[in-house]
Amino acid sequence: MTLLRAEGLNVTARIGPLTVPALRDLNLSLAPGKVLGLVGESGAGKSMVGRAIAQMLPPGFTVSGRGLHFAGQDLLTMPAGDRRALLGRQIAFIPQEPLSALNPVRTIGSQFGEHLRRVGVADWRAAAIAALASVHLPDPAGLLERYPHQLSGGMCQRVLIAMAFASKPALVIADEPTTALDVTIQARIIGVMRELQQLHDTAVLFITHDLRLAAEVCDEIAVLYAGGVVEHGPAEVVLNEPLHPYTKCLLLSAPEIHGPRRGLYTLPEQMPGLRALAEIPGCRFAPRCPLARESCRNAPALLLLKEAHRVACPYPGEVASINAGPPAAAPEVTAGEILVDVRGLGKTFRTGTPFKRRAVAAVRDVNFTLHAGEFLGVVGESGSGKSTLARLLMGLERPTAGEIRLAGSDVSRWDGAARRTRLQTAQMVFQDPQSALNPRRRVASIVTQALEAAGVPAAMREAKAAEILADLGMPPELGSRFPNQLSGGQRQRVNIGRALCLVPKLLVADEIVSGLDVSVQAQLLALLARLREEHRFALLLISHDLAVVRYLCERVMVMQRGVVVEQGRTDEVFANPQHPYTKELLEAVPKG
Amino acid sequence: MIPRWARDGRVLVGLVLLAGVLAVALLAPLLAGMAPDEQDLLATLLPASWQEGGDAAHWLGTDSLGRDVFARLLYGARVALTVAAIAAPGAMIAGTLAALLAGYLGGWFDWLVGRAVDVWMSFPPVILSLILMVGLGTGTRNVIFAIMLVDWTRFCRVLRAEVLVVARRDYVTAAGLVGFGHLRILVREVFPAIVPLLITLLTLEMGIAVVVEAILSFVGLGVKPDEVAWGQMIADGRSTIYQAPFNLLAPVVAIFVTVAGFNLLGDGLRRSLDVRLLEGRG
Repeated sequence: MTLLRAEGLNVTARIGPLTVPALRDLNLSLAPGKVLGLVGESGAGKSMVGRAIAQMLPPGFTVSGRGLHFAGQDLLTMPAGDRRALLGRQIAFIPQEPLSALNPVRTIGSQFGEHLRRVGVADWRAAAIAALASVHLPDPAGLLERYPHQLSGGMCQRVLIAMAFASKPALVIADEPTTALDVTIQARIIGVMRELQQLHDTAVLFITHDLRLAAEVCDEIAVLYAGGVVEHGPAEVVLNEPLHPYTKCLLLSAPEIHGPRRGLYTLPEQMPGLRALAEIPGCRFAPRCPLARESCRNAPALLLLKEAHRVACPYPGEVASINAGPPAAAPEVTAGEILVDVRGLGKTFRTGTPFKRRAVAAVRDVNFTLHAGEFLGVVGESGSGKSTLARLLMGLERPTAGEIRLAGSDVSRWDGAARRTRLQTAQMVFQDPQSALNPRRRVASIVTQALEAAGVPAAMREAKAAEILADLGMPPELGSRFPNQLSGGQRQRVNIGRALCLVPKLLVADEIVSGLDVSVQAQLLALLARLREEHRFALLLISHDLAVVRYLCERVMVMQRGVVVEQGRTDEVFANPQHPYTKELLEAVPKG
Repeated sequence: MIPRWARDGRVLVGLVLLAGVLAVALLAPLLAGMAPDEQDLLATLLPASWQEGGDAAHWLGTDSLGRDVFARLLYGARVALTVAAIAAPGAMIAGTLAALLAGYLGGWFDWLVGRAVDVWMSFPPVILSLILMVGLGTGTRNVIFAIMLVDWTRFCRVLRAEVLVVARRDYVTAAGLVGFGHLRILVREVFPAIVPLLITLLTLEMGIAVVVEAILSFVGLGVKPDEVAWGQMIADGRSTIYQAPFNLLAPVVAIFVTVAGFNLLGDGLRRSLDVRLLEGRG
């Protein structure tokens, strides 16, 4: 008995004169009441599956195949009107960006009511209130009168989950439903979704980039790579005994929050784009695979059957031999030299109209020291004041209380001397390379911008640029490119390279690996560890990802609503958290 | 490799039209065959040469003082293009400076510039330039000055919004963190980002300058009476439209062709240089 069955499903993209398969010969089946996880990095084609079911493909994409059966009907051949009747009633969607999925100028009640009337609920008000109560939203009746911007992202997502389940659909497609949310909220959202799914015995297609999250949520997992399923099996088996080298590498490239610290596996390069796919004849993973051999590059890979566990690799026996190696050894920190000394630091923003002033304390009474060469992680949810702390350290905000000493001199004053100390001591890596790299400068000019400011002649800058690019593990010819000709991982390297140009003693990095695929994240973390050995800088790493902090930093500081609630050695804090908020954060991380 | 803007059909048509007007302006003494202010009071209001009663020496006929319409048309292009080529960049420089400083510095200076632009733009631009001309007196130089004084706001308002967006980018902050001073940040980081928009606005403003000059000359507050301008010709030809229609039609067509050239060029450049469109395409 299957609810959804895809047989040889293909999605083809037309790029100029080329036709490239974005999804290739996909076979999936989902039984009623089960949760199937589609896991893959960006570009794997995982969202294409959901879009193919809804027939909402981007222009230039076409879907074909032997069949896409839903409850006995073929979605590929049925008239568009019939399919539309199914959507929202029998097949519901939970989107990735909850805030942009709700109409900002209409109340929750008006949007919920419209949906319920469409699916034929007579007493929509009572039904909406019941649905909102089922996702544990407080005061559901009052919520109907509110607008989306009055709710938090997590609340909006719960509203959307309530809407998706309100029509008692047979299938819910959740496309990265928690990616835009904080980790503690993610745990709550997943809990609510699981509860409703079990209550109504709904089948869920759960699309995510996070293998561990998928393993926690799903019964079965299908791992996608470059438009094809490479491994498909029961969630626990795939997580614990992966048989495809890609699955194994993916697991090894993400740092873990529990268990002994280990090294990260770094896959070379990145997933080929659609255009490049056309030129890879055999197994699409072969160019990056540690087990690849001549035969992989020629013959297309076959799907081996092993009970319920299918793998698209002829050498599953060798996968266990892929290992990540030991963790990067943290260099001994000389306890003597104090680089950053922050005492009683506070920042209060004043907002509102002249008639109704409001003061918001973004950072309150923060005290910490950072030794030369030490890596300190700052964790906390959005709005906890992490980024404000970074901006205060860099002199982008003026503190309203307390003192910052950088390399012995007080930089909380606001004068030329403080600015010079900062320039010589500290540099910052920004979160979003799209915004942090001037699109009109070439890479070589970006990484040597600090030398340009110091008036170094162009020929010397050119030489230094080649040196920095080599340091970043990038070929020198990339120096003449523009940022938008680079991949996301390369852009973030350039972003780091600019900050390292003058070899600062302190690097402040704000969420530099968030939003990147795990394989790219592993490359960057390895790069930071290597650069640290070469240049011996201290790092203040701001991150919402506890595992990344655990991997990279000796010490950690936990922030909540502008206050540091706990700080200490990373292994001690994570093994034995004292503050309830730290405990909550740690418990929210999916264990798989 | 031909840059993308040069492959746009609008840009090409606009450039061809403008190149034609420019060639005519430069070669006017050769093409006209006679001076534009040469009067022949015995042959006033002649129709075009191919019409009944026309004279082969005056291809488009003569005006009420017996001056050759064709010669005046060619010389008129000189004034139109001079005004476009000086007034538009002048307005651009003033507007861009104000926009850069207001958008980058923010605070009270931004407030001041913003309110000045609001007040300025609440006057109808033609009325404002008429008032200015009354105060300044006629003459090409004063026409240029009046257009600059009125139209800097067009640049300022649009560019300020763009500067606001660019100045909030992290790369501008990053430039400050590696030691760039404010002036260098403005010149090296912010200004290059607004250049495509600037070029587009400049081209469109040139078209506007041609129209404004024609209007001012039409009401007699533009160029001096002894200079030749299309607006003047229209004013002259208005009363004799039935006797000598080309006195009116020829300058109207000339203005149309010139302004269409600038607008097509500007529109084409906007489509192929617009930063937002380019960044959207990745």
